[in-house]
Amino acid sequence: MRTLLWTAGIAFLVGFYLSWTAGRLDRLHARVDAAWAALDAQLVRRAAAARAVAAHLDDASAGHALEEAATAALEARHDRRELLENDLSRALKASLPMLVQDAAGEAALAELETASTRVGLARSFHNAAVKDTRALRFRRIPRALRLAGRREMPQFFEIDDTAV
Amino acid sequence: MRIGIACPYTWDVPGGVQAHVRDLADTLIALGHDVSVLSPVDDPDRDDLPAYVVPAGRAVPVPYNGSVARLVFGPLSLARTRRWLREGAFDVLHVHEPTVPSVSMLACFAASGPIVATFHTATARSRALQVFGTALQPALEKVIGRIAVSPAARRVVVEHLGGDAVLIPNGVDVARFDGAEPLPGRDDRPTVVFLGRIDEQRKGLAVLLEALPELVSLVPDVRLLVAGPGDADDVREAVPASLRDRVELLGLVSEQDKPRVFASGDVYCAPNTHGESFGIVLVEAMATGTPVVASDLEAFRRVLEDGRAGVLVPVRDPGALAAGLGALLQDPERRARLAEAGRRAVRTYDWSTVTRQVVEVYETVAVAAPVAVDATLEAALPVGDEDDDDAGRLVTTLRRWMADRARR
Repeated sequence: MRTLLWTAGIAFLVGFYLSWTAGRLDRLHARVDAAWAALDAQLVRRAAAARAVAAHLDDASAGHALEEAATAALEARHDRRELLENDLSRALKASLPMLVQDAAGEAALAELETASTRVGLARSFHNAAVKDTRALRFRRIPRALRLAGRREMPQFFEIDDTAV
Repeated sequence: MRIGIACPYTWDVPGGVQAHVRDLADTLIALGHDVSVLSPVDDPDRDDLPAYVVPAGRAVPVPYNGSVARLVFGPLSLARTRRWLREGAFDVLHVHEPTVPSVSMLACFAASGPIVATFHTATARSRALQVFGTALQPALEKVIGRIAVSPAARRVVVEHLGGDAVLIPNGVDVARFDGAEPLPGRDDRPTVVFLGRIDEQRKGLAVLLEALPELVSLVPDVRLLVAGPGDADDVREAVPASLRDRVELLGLVSEQDKPRVFASGDVYCAPNTHGESFGIVLVEAMATGTPVVASDLEAFRRVLEDGRAGVLVPVRDPGALAAGLGALLQDPERRARLAEAGRRAVRTYDWSTVTRQVVEVYETVAVAAPVAVDATLEAALPVGDEDDDDAGRLVTTLRRWMADRARR
């Protein structure tokens, strides 16, 4: 009888731990998804702002290059997003000195600055969520028992967003 | 934007977090946002309760982290929190100090969607985190955007919760301080001002009193103005009898009189020994235009821009403090220069600047669906609005829910 009670007790604890950890993983993945949605939105906003800036450069070929980088970033497939967004950062860095200093140019720059700050914030929130999720998923028991199911391992998003 | 803010400490009792929430809410409303603050309130009928505050129940005093915190926790508060979340339909939920077992933690627990959390404490250990660390994690893990008010608070977040936090400093209403009139009855004797609890050792009044004899030898007609609660006799005893008439004790001064106290001094002195996470008093003195002499602590060094916007002196060193104060009192030109540098430096801390940064965080996280009541909680513990005051039924439902969860 005692053994039975012990077994039942342990089974209960194990079950509780597993269901609780699976719940945590659920919530963490939901947070990663939300944080990615936020980052995605800010990246799109930045690319749109970069296009506006491209229209106000005093060098037509630089404007064209920036326009292309922005379009490439907007249309990037998920696995190439990081690379192309980073290219956009670099293109922005190179073209900002050529910005026409009139009212429209200033407005485009202001929008780009806002968008870039938000990309920085959203990226930091996204990577924090990814870090928390990965930390739990890489623990021995969740990994061995595949508590995360078939969900993809979330990846960090690393770009240089200090351009502006 | 519809913004829901959760404040963990009783609204009726003055405190740093409450003041922060109040000023943030006021500034957000002035910017045209819709704001609702959920907070424990002891007396919901008081006249000066702002219209945006939603009482979450009476707080219970609990010894916590070495002092007495007044907290709310329980089924009734949970029901009110849920109702607030449901009726508020917020675009973003902003919880303050979610590691304190109170309204903020409940809101984290009960909500899903874009949640932002601000961490205030620089204390390395939170009792709640130590005891319930793992159990609290699910609630804290929902937070998408983390804000820390100081590098020290940010370090606590990184060490205890993992992940990073964005640094957005505490705000000060600069306009309230700038151009304040000195208190009545002032003469032109050089005056050093101290503001803070006089019996709290880390505020460092003892160091300043020890420095007084030497300061008097440098600046013979110097006067010391001490504002803050505590036992005045202790202060008098710490000063040699011949110098007692130079120390004027104002006792506890009201928030309204604070700018005037700073304005009454030629120099503001912050001889703190340790444990400061931010140094908002320094910012207030600088906003008034009073040059600051402060201990060389990390937080103060940051506010004083490494000594460009104020004088830093070695910690717990009465000799150096006297020398620093004396030199500044004898040099009006340098005082004017530092006052100017201080006024410039505090612009970063003005609520308008700070709130803009906070709104940027809101707008960054609030692109997904708005805040809703957590689906798991909603399914497991269905309550109607009329249950709000029926704590008994809630306890039963909560027990049933826990039993049900345990079975699954």
